[in-house]
Amino acid sequence: MSRGGSRLSFLIPLVGFLVLAGFATLALFATLSGERDVTQLPSAMLGKPAPTTPLPDLINDGAAVSVADLRGVPFLVNVFASWCAPCRAEAPALALLAEDIRIMGIAYKDKPADSRRFLTQYGNPFVAVGVDRDGAAGMAWGVYGVPETFLVDADGTIVLRHAGPIDRRVLDEVIRPAIRDLQ
Amino acid sequence: MTGKPYRSGAGRPAALSCALVFALMFTLALAPLQARAVTPEEMLSDPALESRARDLSKQLRCLVCQNQSIDDSDAELARDLRVEVRKQLAAGAADDEILATLRETYGDYVLLNPPVSPATYILWGAPVVILIGGAAIMLAGRRRDEDPPEETAGDPPTASSATASPATASSATASPAIDMRIGMALASLVMAASLGVYLVLGRADLPAQPLSERGAEIAAALKQKQAVAGTRDSALAAARAAAAETPNDVGAWLRLAMAAAASGDRETEMTALQQAETLTNGDPAIRAMRAEAMARAADGQVTVPARELVAEILAVNPAEPRALFLSGLAAYQDEDYAAAVTIWQRLQAASAPDAPWMPLLAENIADAARAGGIPLTEQTPPEAAPRGPSEADVAAAAEMTDEDRQAMIESMVDGLAARLAEDPSDAAGWQRLARAYEVLERPRDAQAALIGAADADADDLRAQLLALEQMVVGRLEAEFTDAASRLLDRARTLGPDHPETLYLGGHFARLEGDRETARRLWEALLSRLPEDAPIIPQLRAAIDSL
Repeated sequence: MSRGGSRLSFLIPLVGFLVLAGFATLALFATLSGERDVTQLPSAMLGKPAPTTPLPDLINDGAAVSVADLRGVPFLVNVFASWCAPCRAEAPALALLAEDIRIMGIAYKDKPADSRRFLTQYGNPFVAVGVDRDGAAGMAWGVYGVPETFLVDADGTIVLRHAGPIDRRVLDEVIRPAIRDLQ
Repeated sequence: MTGKPYRSGAGRPAALSCALVFALMFTLALAPLQARAVTPEEMLSDPALESRARDLSKQLRCLVCQNQSIDDSDAELARDLRVEVRKQLAAGAADDEILATLRETYGDYVLLNPPVSPATYILWGAPVVILIGGAAIMLAGRRRDEDPPEETAGDPPTASSATASPATASSATASPAIDMRIGMALASLVMAASLGVYLVLGRADLPAQPLSERGAEIAAALKQKQAVAGTRDSALAAARAAAAETPNDVGAWLRLAMAAAASGDRETEMTALQQAETLTNGDPAIRAMRAEAMARAADGQVTVPARELVAEILAVNPAEPRALFLSGLAAYQDEDYAAAVTIWQRLQAASAPDAPWMPLLAENIADAARAGGIPLTEQTPPEAAPRGPSEADVAAAAEMTDEDRQAMIESMVDGLAARLAEDPSDAAGWQRLARAYEVLERPRDAQAALIGAADADADDLRAQLLALEQMVVGRLEAEFTDAASRLLDRARTLGPDHPETLYLGGHFARLEGDRETARRLWEALLSRLPEDAPIIPQLRAAIDSL
């Protein structure tokens, strides 16, 4: 080994450290600039078929609704609950979206009477609402907190998932472009 | 000393055993495990299955809390997942199958120990690489040590090597060797300590901090909370009784609404406000309180129904402070910061400088301006702007009976009227006074105020026409003849061909018996109107009746 080589070998750990620190700094800045959202967990359901288990219909007693009924054109599925404050916040955004695309609602762990009152109070943007009393449907969709919104393509495959309320930024920069891409 | 070779020593075995002792100590410290989040009704009756369920739960992440296992978490979703795991176990599924199905829906993230996959190669490989790399560097250093560089070979013996102890006399460099040993021991100690800290605090399957130790603290806080709630509840009951006793007293309903708001009874609050609203025929201030209660019920979000209500209130009274505040808040929540700043600044200008909401308002405006990148200009001094009622006035109004309320409003209106009598040039003030008199159902005073507005703004055609129109609508022409001719002259100068000038001119000419002028003006108007104007048949009939 040449003397110069062995003298520089002590730099190896330093370089290794700097590389790691570089990655950490990049991640930190991506988080600070809002590019990377630490509250958004990776979703395993993307690219998988949407669960089609029929759910009791919230509006028509005794009937059942299923995601399978909506296939043919892209649609949204919104998991909400009357006890969820962010769901109220996203009501105006859903009302806007409902003008362009059909939305199915899933009332997650909510009393049907409360869900109905919620829809009367904040507006009903849904073409159909399924009742998920015990959260089983939520688990099938991989939901970990309401509200969550899924974009499903014409074949019934999940192409987008958004966890958390839809605000104006999410509406314009995430949901609408994804819908446009499908059409 | 620089350039002298290092020599490894006996430090390593000592540090190793030290690490072992550390590890053992920390493991023993973990022995008494704390109670977990698992509740008795979730448990399976078969102890073997239950213990498998517990093991699985420790490997699964609660996706709500994200740094707890589902075994440990009180979150609703964690409970659901625990039940799901047990359901699948009871159905005879293998541990791997259960983990696989959950991974299917929730992804790798649900596993507390990330699986080895291309995405995690660096994660799992890094410690090995670092260890091997470190060892390689140390070995390289040692080889240099055994094969001393030439420049040190010819060094004359130094003072330190001459006084070296007999045990290390064979080496010419005793003190660097000891330095090395201390360094190694320190490095090992740091590693052992980090391992220990990880085992005690960082390990994925550790329970949360025991809740029981904070029990006393929580119990005390709870007791205090209950005491406060008790006082509130009795206040609410008293207010409820008072409202039931005097159902026509607006103040009683407003007091009930406040008591209900304090104890979080939103339904009662809303009902009481609605009662008060009905009793006052939709008083804008009370409707604004209801809009505020609606926003409060939605955790501060100005909901769609609340927005509609606010719009209605502002259509009636554009200066209603609560409605203005909510309107600004709605814009802020829409991320329309420019609108929020404009609306809130309007409220700021309309409020007394010592109004209790001013500090909050200033903070909100600054916040919205910052969020929207809007430069803030200095506000015009508030005393130059029209003043709304202060919070104290509004609160006082809420405490009063109907008659008292009316009296308070009238005294406020009289104050405005007196101010305008001194300084009649404030056209906006006259218009507000006119609106106030209309609300108080004093049409003659309202008319006089409108004329005041027209006189204050003698160059404004609109103001002249508005006062004249009101006069015709209220059939008050006979009582204000002087003012009518004065205003009409001005209208003729400012806009002789304006359709309303022509119509009103004809109207007043007919009242004076000057049929010819009336006919001339109305026919001129007729020729100017578009053919499909809905007023034409009426106008023709009026001309024919002359």
